[in-house]
Amino acid sequence: MSEPLLEVVSLKKSFSAEKPSLFFGGRERLVRAIDGIDFTLERGEVLALVGESGCGKSTLALTLMGLEKPTAGSIRFDGQEVTQLKPAALKDYRRHIQMVFQDPYEALNPTQSIEEIVAEPLLVHGLARNKHERRMLVLRALEDSGLKPAEIYLDRYPHQLSGGQRQRVVIAGALVLEPRLLLADEPVSMLDVSIRAEIINLLAELRQSRQISVVFITHDLGTVGYFADRIAVMYLGRIVEIGSTQEVLTGAQHPYTRALLSVIPVPNPRLRRQRIVLQGETPNPIDIPSGCRFHPRCPVAVEACRVTDPPFIEVTPRHRAACLLAKVK
Amino acid sequence: MPLSSPLETIPIKRTPFQNFWRIFTQNRMGLVGLVALIAIILVAVFASALAPYDPYSSAGINSSDIYQPPSPEHPFGTDDAGKDELSLFVYGARVSLVVGFFASFISLAIGGSIGISAGFFGGRTETVLMRFNDIMLVIPDLALMVVIIALTKPSLWNIILVIGLLGWTFTSRIVRSQTLAVKSKKYVLRARAIGAGNRHIIYNHILPLVLPLLLVNAVLVISAAILNESALSFLGLGDPTLISWGQMLNYAFARGAMSAGAWWALVVPGFGIVWVVLALTLLGQGLEQVFNPRTESHHLVETKREERPVPAVLPGPASSAPQPLLTVTNLSIEYTLSGGSRALAVDHVSFTLQKGEMLGLVGESGCGKTTLMLGLLRLLPAAGKVVSGEVDFDGHDLIALSEEELRDVRWKGIAIIFQGAMNALNPVRTVGDQLVEAIRQHDPGKPTAALEARVSELLDLVGISAERKGDYPHQYSGGMRQRAMIAMALACDPQIVIADEPTTALDVMIQAQILELLSSLREKLGLSIILVTHDLGVVAEMCDSVLVMYGGVMAEYAPVDRVYNAPQHPYTRELLKAFPDLADPGKKLSSIPGYPPRLDDLPAGCRFAPRCSVALERCSRDLPGITDLGEEHIVRCHLVEPQ
Repeated sequence: MSEPLLEVVSLKKSFSAEKPSLFFGGRERLVRAIDGIDFTLERGEVLALVGESGCGKSTLALTLMGLEKPTAGSIRFDGQEVTQLKPAALKDYRRHIQMVFQDPYEALNPTQSIEEIVAEPLLVHGLARNKHERRMLVLRALEDSGLKPAEIYLDRYPHQLSGGQRQRVVIAGALVLEPRLLLADEPVSMLDVSIRAEIINLLAELRQSRQISVVFITHDLGTVGYFADRIAVMYLGRIVEIGSTQEVLTGAQHPYTRALLSVIPVPNPRLRRQRIVLQGETPNPIDIPSGCRFHPRCPVAVEACRVTDPPFIEVTPRHRAACLLAKVK
Repeated sequence: MPLSSPLETIPIKRTPFQNFWRIFTQNRMGLVGLVALIAIILVAVFASALAPYDPYSSAGINSSDIYQPPSPEHPFGTDDAGKDELSLFVYGARVSLVVGFFASFISLAIGGSIGISAGFFGGRTETVLMRFNDIMLVIPDLALMVVIIALTKPSLWNIILVIGLLGWTFTSRIVRSQTLAVKSKKYVLRARAIGAGNRHIIYNHILPLVLPLLLVNAVLVISAAILNESALSFLGLGDPTLISWGQMLNYAFARGAMSAGAWWALVVPGFGIVWVVLALTLLGQGLEQVFNPRTESHHLVETKREERPVPAVLPGPASSAPQPLLTVTNLSIEYTLSGGSRALAVDHVSFTLQKGEMLGLVGESGCGKTTLMLGLLRLLPAAGKVVSGEVDFDGHDLIALSEEELRDVRWKGIAIIFQGAMNALNPVRTVGDQLVEAIRQHDPGKPTAALEARVSELLDLVGISAERKGDYPHQYSGGMRQRAMIAMALACDPQIVIADEPTTALDVMIQAQILELLSSLREKLGLSIILVTHDLGVVAEMCDSVLVMYGGVMAEYAPVDRVYNAPQHPYTRELLKAFPDLADPGKKLSSIPGYPPRLDDLPAGCRFAPRCSVALERCSRDLPGITDLGEEHIVRCHLVEPQ
C-alpha cells in the first residue's frame, strides 16, 4: 500500500485561558482543545470526524489547514512535515487542502460577485495566465459544483442565491485550486433537508470523479453512513473510537459512540427504540476528568475507569476504541 | 424574523451601483442633501462668473459703500470695506470647501489606516495605536489648533494640515470596531484558508466593508473641518489674504458690524456654513440608509385593515375523535408585500389537537410553519393578517376574541417557545427573576413566598437544580437555557405548548435531552404540544400526528404511522427519501430538484408542481382541493382526488 495522504501523530493544541498575572502571580490555565490525536487518511478516502461542540473538531480542522500552530505532534501531508513550514511553503501547502464551511451565508463576502469569489484563490496563487484562462477555470469549477449553466452565476452576488447555491459556490471556490484534500466543516447542518442530500451527493461525486480525499466534520452521525469510508468519534479533544463506517455503525465499542448512535432520530415511527440519553454536558476542556475522560458521564463505567486513561484497543485491524471495556473480536 | 427567509433569496439582477442608487433615492432627505451640496460646489467652481464684483480688488470702492444694506447693486449688502457681500460669499465658498474637503481627506486617510491596522492586527499594535488615539481624543482640538497655528504661519495649507491632522480620532475608533466585526467573518477565514496574505485580505475583504462606513463618516468630518476653519478664522488665525466664510465673520465681528446694525455681514457667511453642514448631514442620512441595511425599510408593509371577500370554505377534516382542545379550520394568512401585492402565506390550513397529543408541524424554511403558529395567537407582524378561518380553543374562537380576552389565552392557555428563544433571555437579570416576572404577568397578586416556591417547582420540572435560580443566563449552558425557556412557557400552567424548532442549533445529546424532557412533561402534565421542526426523525420518534406544509399549503395531515409508512403526497415522499436513515444506510439519498416557492412568486396551481416528478398537466393550473382519505388522513394533491 502506498503512503497515506495525511498522517497525524500525537497532535496537540492548547490555548491559554488565563495567563499568570504579572503582579499577582497565579497559574496559567490551559484549554486543551486537542489532546493527542492520531489518524491517517488514504488517498481518495472519506473520513468522518464526529463529535459534539467542544470536542475539538473545529480546532483540529484549523490546525490541519495550518491556520493554527499545533502545540505538539506532527502532521505529514504527502510525506512532508507541514507543522514547521515557512510562510511561502505554507501558502503552497494550502493549495492542496481546502475548506468548506458550515455557514454558507457567512463564508461569502457580500460585496464580491460569484466570479470574484471563485477567482480569488487563482489570483492569490497566481494560477491563471490571463483573464480568459481564469474565467474558464471559474466556469469549470462552478459547473463541477453543480451550478449549471455556470455563465448566469458569474455576475450574481451571494444575497441573490439560495442557501444550497451558496454552499455550491463555497465548494467551487475550493475546487478551483484542484485540492487533494477537502475539509468539510458541518457543510450541511445549516441547510434544509431537501438540499442537504444534494450537497452530500455532490461531495460524494467529487470524490469519485476527482479522487479528492475528504475529512467530513459533523455532529450528525445520521448523514455519515451515506458517504464516509471511516468514522472517527471525538470526545474532549481525543478520538475515542475509529473504524470503518460499517464496523462503527453496527459494532460500536465505546459507550459514547453507542449513546450517540442511539439518539439519532430514525424516521420510522415503528422503530422507536431505547435511547441512551447521557445526562449533563461535555465538560470544560480546562478541567479534563482523571482516568478515562468520559467516565463521569459513562453509563457503564467501572472503578478502574476513574484512574486509568484507556489505551486504544484493537477491536479488529481497522477498528480501534479507547475503552477499558472494549471487546476484541 | 420568520418573514425574512422566503424573501431573502429574491434574485434581482442589479449592479451594486444600481442597487445603491435605488435605495439612496428612496430617501428624500439624502437626495435633497446631495442636490444642495452640488449646488454650493457649482457656486464655488464658477465663482468668478457668478460674483458681480471682484472681492480681491478694492478698485472703485468709495467710503460711502461701507456697510450698505441690501440694494439692487448689492443684493446682500456690503461689508466694512465696502465690498459686495454676495461676491465675498461666492468666493468664500471656494476656500471653505477646499479646506473642508482636503482637511477631511487627510483625517479620513489617517483615521482609516489607524483604525484598520488596530482592528486587523490586534495585540500590541492595537494597544499602542488605541492609547495614542485616546490621548489625541482628550486633547481639546480647537485649543491645540490655535496653539499650532499661532506658532506657525497661518496660511491656507497650514490650516488644512492642522485641521486634517487633528480630526481623525473619531473616525479611527469607528473604523476599528467595523474592522473587528468584519475580521471575525467566515469569509476572512476562508481567504486565509485559500492562502491569502494580510495585504490581500485587507484590500479585498476588509476595505470594501469599511469604505461605506468611512463615506458616511466623511460627511461628519467635512462639516467639522469647515466649522473648524471658520472658528480659526473667527479667532483671527485664518489666512488674512484669503476670503472664507470664517474670515467674513471674523471681520464683521472685529470691525463693528453689530454696532453698525449691519446684520447682513453676519447672516450671509453664517448662511453658507449652515447650508453646507445641513447638506452634508442630510447626505449622510441618505448614505446611512444605503450602507446600514438595518435601517432600510422592511420588504413587507402593513396590511390595511379592510375587509376582503373570504375565500370559499373548503371541507375540513371530519374527525370522529372526542371534542379536541384546539380546532383550526381553514385558516388563511395573508402578507402584504412591498409594492402592495399580497400573498397567501398560509392557505386554508385545518388541524385538530387533542389533550395530551403531540403534533409535528413539518416543512422547509419559508413554508409558513412559523407564520401559522403566530397566526393562531394573532401575534403576526404588521404585514400579516388572518383573512379567514377559525381557531377554536376551549370553546372560544381566538380569531374573534378581543385583544384583551386574547391576552388571557396567550401564555395561560397556549404558550409558545420561539425559535432561538434561549438566546433571548435577559443577560443582566437572574433566571429566577425572569421566571417570577413571567408568573406575575398573569397572576399579579401571588404572594412572594408562593412565587419562590413556584419558581423552584418549575425549575425542578425541567431538570434544573433550584439552587441555580440565582444564576445569570451566561452561567447556564445552551441546553440549560433552553430548559429555562421551557420552564418559562410552563409558568402559567398552559394546556398547549408550541415549540418552534426547540432543538435546532443544539448538540445531538442535548437535543435528545430536550426531547426527552418534552415527552416527560407531556405525560406528567397532560400537555398538548405542537412541535415545529424540519427534522423528520424527531417527528417520527415523538409525535402522534404530522402536518406537512409546503409553500403555505397543508400537503398532508395524518397520524404519524400513516405519514411515514403510507405517504400519499409526492412532497412527503420526496422529503422522506431525502432524509438520512441510519436504520437503512444502503438507501440512496435523493434530493428534490429546484427550490421552494417564494412568497412573492407563488405558482398558479399546486405549489409543489414545479418540483414534482409525477405532476399532471392540471397540477400547474389548479390548486388541488382537500381530499379526506379516511382514518384521519388528509391530502391536498390532484393525484389522490377521486375521479
